Amino acid sequence: MLSLESITKTIQDWLFAKFTPQIALTIECVIVILLCITLFAVLGLVLVLLERKVAARIQIRLGPNRVGPGGIFQTAADTLKLIMKEGLTPDAADKFLFNLAPFVVMMVAMLLLAPIAFAKNFQIWDINIGVLYVSSISSLSVIGILMAGWASNNKYSLLGAMRSGAQIVSYELSAGFAVLTIVVLTGSLQISEIVASQENGWWLFKGHIPVIIAFVLYIIAVTAETNRAPFDLAEAESELTAGFHTEYSGMKFALFFLAEYINIFIVCAIGATLFLGGWMPLHIGHWKDFNHIMDYIPSSVWFMGKTFFLIFLIMWFRWTFPRLRVDQLLNLEWKYLLPISLFNLLLVTVIAIMGWHF
Amino acid sequence: MNISSILFYAISALILGGGILAVTSVKIFRAAIWLLFSLIGIAALYFWMQVEFIAAIQIVVYVGGIVVLIIFSIFLTQHSGKEMNSPTLSKKIFSALAALFGTAFVHKLIVHYDGFTYLSALPFNSNVAEIGTQMLSTTSHGFILPFEVVSMLLLAAMIGCIVIAMRPKNEIKNNSINNIENN
Amino acid sequence: MFLKDYISDVYNGVTSLLKGMRKTGYYFTHSKEIITEQYPDNRATLKLADRFKGEVVMPHDQNNEHTCTGCTACELACPNGTIKIITKFDITPEGKKKKAIDAFIYRLEMCTLCNLCIVACPSDAIIMAPNFEHSVFDRSKLTKVLNKPGSKIKEGIE
Repeated sequence: MLSLESITKTIQDWLFAKFTPQIALTIECVIVILLCITLFAVLGLVLVLLERKVAARIQIRLGPNRVGPGGIFQTAADTLKLIMKEGLTPDAADKFLFNLAPFVVMMVAMLLLAPIAFAKNFQIWDINIGVLYVSSISSLSVIGILMAGWASNNKYSLLGAMRSGAQIVSYELSAGFAVLTIVVLTGSLQISEIVASQENGWWLFKGHIPVIIAFVLYIIAVTAETNRAPFDLAEAESELTAGFHTEYSGMKFALFFLAEYINIFIVCAIGATLFLGGWMPLHIGHWKDFNHIMDYIPSSVWFMGKTFFLIFLIMWFRWTFPRLRVDQLLNLEWKYLLPISLFNLLLVTVIAIMGWHF
Repeated sequence: MNISSILFYAISALILGGGILAVTSVKIFRAAIWLLFSLIGIAALYFWMQVEFIAAIQIVVYVGGIVVLIIFSIFLTQHSGKEMNSPTLSKKIFSALAALFGTAFVHKLIVHYDGFTYLSALPFNSNVAEIGTQMLSTTSHGFILPFEVVSMLLLAAMIGCIVIAMRPKNEIKNNSINNIENN
Repeated sequence: MFLKDYISDVYNGVTSLLKGMRKTGYYFTHSKEIITEQYPDNRATLKLADRFKGEVVMPHDQNNEHTCTGCTACELACPNGTIKIITKFDITPEGKKKKAIDAFIYRLEMCTLCNLCIVACPSDAIIMAPNFEHSVFDRSKLTKVLNKPGSKIKEGIE
C-alpha cells in the first residue's frame, strides 16, 4: 500500500545507498525545508480562502467567486498583488528590528512544525519533550509581535503589541494546563507516544468529562494565543487600525498574515494530536472489525480531517462572537479559565492515579 | 573539525556576540533583543548537548518570561526611537574591571577542575520521567526539599503580589466618591 | 453564595455562546439563506428589498393624474434643498383660480435619500422607488421634473 511512510523510507534508503551519510543527511534536510516551505505556502492560500468562504456562508453571503471557478484562485491573486506591492519602512522606525520582526514571527511558526506527526511515522523530529517543545517555542512568537510594535514607532502599533503581549502571556497558562491534563493521562511528553496511547480510543472519549473540559479550555486559550476574534484586541481594526502591523505593507505584511494562519494550523494540529488522536483512526475499544475498517482510511487523511475540523471550529468562533474588552479578556483568563483548569487538572490526576479512564 | 564542533562554535559566537551587542547598544530595545538572542543561543547550546528538557525550560523561563518582562518595562517607561546617553568613563572602567574579574574567577575554577578534559563517567540521562521522579524523590539524591522550599517561596511571592495589588474595600468607596465629586 | 453564582455565570456564558453558534451554524449549513445578488449577471431577475430607497418618484395613474397639490411641504422638509416646486394657477370651469404644480423639480445629485419628504407629504404624492442605476454622462441629467408633461391633479384632492 502506498503511504507517506513507505515513500519516505524509499527515499531515505535510496539516498543512503547513493551518497555518503553526511551528504545524504544534507539532502534530506534540504528536502524537508522545501517541503515545509511548500506546506506553508499551500496552507496560507487554502486557509485564507477557507476563512473567507466560511465567513461568507456564516454571514449569508457568497464570498469570493470571481477569480477561477468558485473563487478558488482568489488568494493566489491576492498573494501576487502583495508581492508586487512596495514594502514601505517608516522613516522614524528602528529599521533593523522593523524588518526583522516578520521573519522572527515566521521562523517561530516554522520551528513549531518540527514535532507534528502528519501521518503514521511521518514526522520531522520526534523530540522526547514534544508538547513542552511546542509550548516553549510558541512563547517566542510574542517577541516578534512586541518587536514589530516597538520598531514601528507608532502609537497604535505599540498599544496593539502590548495588548497582544499581555494576552499571550496570560493565556499560555491555561493552554499549558490543558496540555498537561493529557500529559498526566499519557505519562509522556513525546508526540508519538501520546498518539500511540490513543490506539483504543481518543482521549476526548476515554477521559470522561474532565478531558472534555480541558479540550474546551484548550480551544479557548489557543484562540486567544493566536490573536483571533473574539480575542483579536491586538489588531482591533475599529480601535487600533491594525494593531502591531499597522505600518507594514506588501510582503512583510503578508508574512505576518501567513504566520497567523500557520499558527492556527499548528495549534489545531497539536489539539488534534492531544485530544483527537492525531493520525490515529477512530478506534473503539476492542471492536476488532470496526477498527480494521477504520484503518483502511489513510492516517494522513485522519490527521488533516481532524485538524481542519478544529480550524473550522475556530473560524466559527471568529464569525459568531463579538470582540472582548481588555478587562473582560483578563477577567476571563484569571477568574474563570485558570481556576477551572487548575481544578480540572486535579480531577484528571485523580482519574489517572485511580486508573478510572478507559 | 566535524559538523558538531562547527555548530558549537557558531552557537558560541551567537551567545557572545549577542551579549556584547546587548551591553554596547545605545538603543534600549535593541539591547533587550540582543539579550534575547544571547539567551536563545544558550538554549540552542542545550539542544546541542541533547538536554532538550533544560533547553525548553530555558526558553520558557528566560525568553518567554524574563525577556518579555524586560520588554514590557521598556514599553511602559521609554520612548520609541530615543537613544540612551553614552555611559560615563568611570562606569566604563568599573564594568570592564568587573568583567575581567569575572573571567579570571571562572578561569581559575576551570583550571582547578582540570580544564575541559573532564568527562562524566556516568551516562547522561535526560529522560523527562527520570527528572520528574528525581525531583520528587525522598531518597538520598532526591530534590523534594529544595523543590518544596522553592514552591513555598513562589506561593509567598504570589500572595504578596495579590495583597499589594488588592485595594481595601473602604478605599475603593472613597475613591469612587472622590471621582464623583471631581466630576 | 459565591460558588453558586460562579457556576451559574459559567453556565449562562457557555449556553449563550452556544446559542449564537447554533444560529451561525444554521446559516452555514443552509445555502438557501444566502441573500447576495450577483448583480450584473442576474439583472433581469434581481430581487430588491421592499424598503430599498433609490430615488423619489411621483406616481401617475392611467389618466396621467397625480395627487400633488403643490403645498411645498416636501420642499420645506428637505434638508438639502433638493426639491423645488414651481406652482401655477389653473382656472377651474367655475371660473375660480386654483393652485397647481407647474414643475416638481428634483435634484438627485443633492438627495441623500433620507425619506423626510415622503413623510412630510400630506397627500402621498411622492414615494421612494427602488431604482439604483443612476449613472449618467452629464450631471444636468440628474435634475429631473417628476410630474409628467400634461399631467394634472386628481379630482377631489385638496
